[in-house]
Amino acid sequence: MMLDRRRLLTSALTLGAMHAFPGLSLAQARPLVFATFTGSWEEAHKAVLVPAFRKANADAAIVLDPMLSVDQIAKVNAAKANPPIDVMLHDPGPALVAIGQDLVEPFPADKSAYFKDLIPEAQDAMGPAPFFQVVGLTFNPETVKTPPTSWADLWKPEFKGKVGITNLNSTLGTGWLVEIARMRGGSEANVDEGFKALEELKPNLAAVAANPGALATLFQQGQIDISPGNFNAIQILKARGVPVEFVAPKEGAIAFKTTIHIVKNSPNKELAFKLIEAALSPEVQTALMNPPYLIVPTNTKVAMTGEIAKVLAKDTAELKKKFVFQDWKKINEQRASWIEKFNRDIKI
Amino acid sequence: MKSATTASATAPGDVTSFSLGLALPLGVVFAIFFVLPLAQLFYLSLHNDTAATVWGLGQYIKFLSDPFSLAVLGSTLLLGAEVTLACLVLGYPIAWLYQRSGSRVQTLIIMIVLLPLLTSVVVRTFAWIVILGRQGIINSVLQSLGLIGTPLRMIYTQGGLIAALAQVQMPLMVLPLITAIGRIDPNLADASASLGAGSWRTFVKVMLPLSMPGIIAGCTLTYAAAITAFITQSLIGGGQMLFMPMYLYQQASTLQNWPFAAAISIIFLFAVLAIVALFSMLGRRARGYGDAR
Repeated sequence: MMLDRRRLLTSALTLGAMHAFPGLSLAQARPLVFATFTGSWEEAHKAVLVPAFRKANADAAIVLDPMLSVDQIAKVNAAKANPPIDVMLHDPGPALVAIGQDLVEPFPADKSAYFKDLIPEAQDAMGPAPFFQVVGLTFNPETVKTPPTSWADLWKPEFKGKVGITNLNSTLGTGWLVEIARMRGGSEANVDEGFKALEELKPNLAAVAANPGALATLFQQGQIDISPGNFNAIQILKARGVPVEFVAPKEGAIAFKTTIHIVKNSPNKELAFKLIEAALSPEVQTALMNPPYLIVPTNTKVAMTGEIAKVLAKDTAELKKKFVFQDWKKINEQRASWIEKFNRDIKI
Repeated sequence: MKSATTASATAPGDVTSFSLGLALPLGVVFAIFFVLPLAQLFYLSLHNDTAATVWGLGQYIKFLSDPFSLAVLGSTLLLGAEVTLACLVLGYPIAWLYQRSGSRVQTLIIMIVLLPLLTSVVVRTFAWIVILGRQGIINSVLQSLGLIGTPLRMIYTQGGLIAALAQVQMPLMVLPLITAIGRIDPNLADASASLGAGSWRTFVKVMLPLSMPGIIAGCTLTYAAAITAFITQSLIGGGQMLFMPMYLYQQASTLQNWPFAAAISIIFLFAVLAIVALFSMLGRRARGYGDAR
């Protein structure tokens, strides 16, 4: 009698669960889901990209679901046949992972009105780059009187105990290591010189942050006075009154493509394409280039003005001269062993 | 008569099965959302390659034969021990004071102890960055008193991390201690004193053993919380101090090496389980102690 009741309850629960699951997995007409990044990205996309997309597409329903690249990959991977995301946004490293795991639909470039206007580096067949992230030197102008001009300035004795870096978990940390290796004759395939340089940097190191966001806190607290840093992150700090400035080093600022992709098996492919089109359009890119967003455009039709023209580049020609692009395919091959080496060797 | 015996024999059984039935919904939830993913994690860890196609114990061998990985595990377990000790030494007097105070002071103490729980760990951790930073409260006070010339480096050091973790996890230690000390009959201390024991002897021989269940419970909670505190560890410890949660994150998230990350989790899980088992074994012995009065 008791057993029966227990069994009944079990079956009821099982039935209930089974009932719930098809409801979840049914491919119903759902709004377009765009997985942007959290923080300032989400703010910018909510304020500029989404309204532009809706205006061009008869108020089509769209949902922003901000999350990290790795979470996007994990979520799509867990339901490849019916992905919960239609459009993904990625840094160069994760983008290659997503493409490698066959999660990405090729971008229909011939259908696109703007693809051909992008600078060549942004024209990726698996998903174009609507934005750049730029990494250069950031410093506190109150304590650093002569602005730095080169990555090599970080090694100057006057910055003893004042330099902050991040570990290689981030795109920023890994990209920067490649750049200092290149400065000393290395490349994406060989960063030994970069590790030697890091060893020499140790007396100057005040902090190895766990992520680029933590660098901002360290600037605010006066823990560090100079570090490699992300142009956009610095603009946010500056706007909040933190004394911090950005310069592009003479070796070239590191440019990371942020690429946007249609997810394979997305039920909303057409709308996904339209959203990417909106992101590539000169109108949206111009709006995002202006304050407070200051996002570097990739469409050559966008005339660069304001802070970006002042600090980074006045036009596409200068941009290409001053920016360094890295081969992330090569970087990904050895990144695991670099992280392992960094874990072991960099203790301060 | 015989049937009556059977009925009375099954009656207690009925009570048990009924309570199990009530636990079933939660049991099912645990099975689906905890046991199943854990099994999946274990399954994943038994693969030698990143894509999880080749079976083998390679990931475990890789971890257990690598002195660096073992050092990360060791330093994580040590960090937990240091934080737990700090919490115990600082928390016991507070719990003691609580039991010896009037109700108004008791309310105040409980407020102070609970206050950290009302703010998020992230906020508490950022507060510690402000306290420990170069221009933080401690450094500026010491500098204005002329005790130090240049600011001390406290953030991104082991000491700073222990201080921050100890504060963040303190309620987990103090609350069980308050309960345990409250259950001790105050007359026992008087009896001990009247039999000629000094206050130190009374504490070591009477109070400490009787509060042992609270100490064990507090230590278990604090220890488990301290070693898994990813946010505080990474914000106060920084990027060059590697503990198991960050190691795991690195492998899973940055490197997408899920089988190795899974193996790290399983090893970490068993290391922590071993320590919790040790604590609860001590707890059982302490309960024996307490009942023996």
